[in-house]
Amino acid sequence: MRKYENLLLLSPELSAEERQVILDNLTAIMVREGGKILEVNEWGMRDLAYAVRKMDRGYYVLINSVMPGAAVAELERNIRITDGILKFVTVKLADVEEVA
Amino acid sequence: MAFRKKFTPRRKFCRFCADKEAPIDYKRPDILRDFITERGKIIPRRITGTCAKHQRRLTTEIKRARQMALLFFTAVHSSAVRKRTI
Repeated sequence: MRKYENLLLLSPELSAEERQVILDNLTAIMVREGGKILEVNEWGMRDLAYAVRKMDRGYYVLINSVMPGAAVAELERNIRITDGILKFVTVKLADVEEVA
Repeated sequence: MAFRKKFTPRRKFCRFCADKEAPIDYKRPDILRDFITERGKIIPRRITGTCAKHQRRLTTEIKRARQMALLFFTAVHSSAVRKRTI
């Protein structure tokens, strides 16, 4: 099991409900793959440093989690399929001991 | 020439070695911004004085921040220049 953080950049055109659906979906995948969500931190709407798909603003969400390494590929595959996610990054923070 | 003093530049030091708490993190573009030029280029460590170890970390974090649109790649594309949407 490893500790990861995912930073997602969601489209500013999504409504709060649509955002919540996407986040619920992704956290469900993380849990299904044997992971555990530590924290979901919504940064909120921010100005982007450059236009992404012609949009100047975006909604950032940071998800901290513990997942087995194999789960990352599955998670990223699903992130890529999901509409409304402009950009994402997965960063490994640390290796952690097996949690019961 | 008797009055000219020998010029000694101020000793540079690595900001991240001096302050162990200072985070090098792609999520903190405000700090990373000190280490790029106004055109967005990463400033070499011979100028900033950052040590090799921290410069390596700094480079990866700046690149991550660029990917996530937290920092700009070039000034030409920065949102300040463009028309505002949404």
